[in-house]
Amino acid sequence: MSTLIEKHIVSLLAEKDDRAIALLYENYGDTLFGVAHKVVKDDELAQDVLQESFIKIWKKADSYDASKAKLFTWLFRITRNTAIDKLRSVNNKASKEVQIDVSDVYNLGVSGISPEHLDVQENLDKIEPKYRIVLEALFFEGMTQQEASEELDIPLGTIKSRLKIGLRELGKIYGTTMALLIVLNLLS
Amino acid sequence: MKEKVKIFLESDSLEKYLLGHTTKEESQQVERYIAMYPEVRQTYDELQKNLETFAKMYARKTPEGLKEIILSSARKERMISRRFYRYAIAASVALMIFAGSSLFFWNQNKNLQEENALVTNKIKYLEDDMKNQLEDMRNQFIVLNNPDTKKYQVNGKKEGKELKAIAYINPVKKLSYINVSNVPQLPENKCFQMWAEVNGELVNLGVIKQFNEKDKLLALPYADKAIGYITIEPEGGNSSPTVENIVANITY
Repeated sequence: MSTLIEKHIVSLLAEKDDRAIALLYENYGDTLFGVAHKVVKDDELAQDVLQESFIKIWKKADSYDASKAKLFTWLFRITRNTAIDKLRSVNNKASKEVQIDVSDVYNLGVSGISPEHLDVQENLDKIEPKYRIVLEALFFEGMTQQEASEELDIPLGTIKSRLKIGLRELGKIYGTTMALLIVLNLLS
Repeated sequence: MKEKVKIFLESDSLEKYLLGHTTKEESQQVERYIAMYPEVRQTYDELQKNLETFAKMYARKTPEGLKEIILSSARKERMISRRFYRYAIAASVALMIFAGSSLFFWNQNKNLQEENALVTNKIKYLEDDMKNQLEDMRNQFIVLNNPDTKKYQVNGKKEGKELKAIAYINPVKKLSYINVSNVPQLPENKCFQMWAEVNGELVNLGVIKQFNEKDKLLALPYADKAIGYITIEPEGGNSSPTVENIVANITY
């Protein structure tokens, strides 16, 4: 995301100009929808989550502080938290209605690492699964490191190092992919 | 690189902060490090970029029409919040008017209640007064119309020569009254005072006010063989009769 558009959106948000929402949707909609979908694993729920998240973003626009986080980080947190809350409320409702033990949020997330889209899969394949699992658990399931350690049965220290390496290696991985794509484009 | 910066970067504080997993105190510490050390800021920016990269890997095409729904609900939200403020202002004004009028009516109600209590007391006082007067009248009527009632003409002597009074005594009902019909003019510092000697004791019946008390029946304490006196006393009355100033006496 170019910083220029980001700055433009931020200033529109601060002015409560509703063009900000359209721009946010165009620039971040797909990614945030993907994040929501990754958490709730349901198309319709993900749409609800995206809608609720955008309303929250719109309402909380005044509280965004550019010095504390990039716009995407802020948007990601809101969407992910909304999605986790949604999933919890759906699971609570289901467990109340059916009166059976429902696997908790975390299990759903970890067992569901089967991206449906091949292009996503291709990209994700570039991240070693041991890192990916940790990153997904922490990013999409809302687990703390301690919870991830218990849930994934991996020592806490390993979780910490995998998160660190995974996150820091991402840039490199992405950088390589981009370079490859550019080369391929040039060749074709 | 400073040792503590190195230690900070090696810890997972930045990652936790990125994911919003830090406590308020931890967040403050991380924000301080980000603000103070460029290498921390740089690492944090990289982490944010990488988070975006990672999240983008999961991007999904948003369904057709969702954008319009979201845009219209955002607009609606804005209208609701504007309307809310308008309503909030209107409600505040209404509340202030209500509070003001409540205070006004409360005050008015309090005043009316006080007034009501005052009027009730007055009525009660008047009622008691009327009852007493009626009772008095009734007794007077009984005495005056009773065949057993004896009428005594009282004439003054000495300075009170012109004093004329009629006493009505009813030994059966044991009631006695006196009607002072003419009170002679006395010097300003003198007045007539009535007394009764009942069972050997002198009872002060009060000062006869020169004009107001005319033609009015005054009750006398009744006793067998009682004596009534009228004396001339210094203005305002005396605590015991001045015997030499007796201008009239009534034996009944």
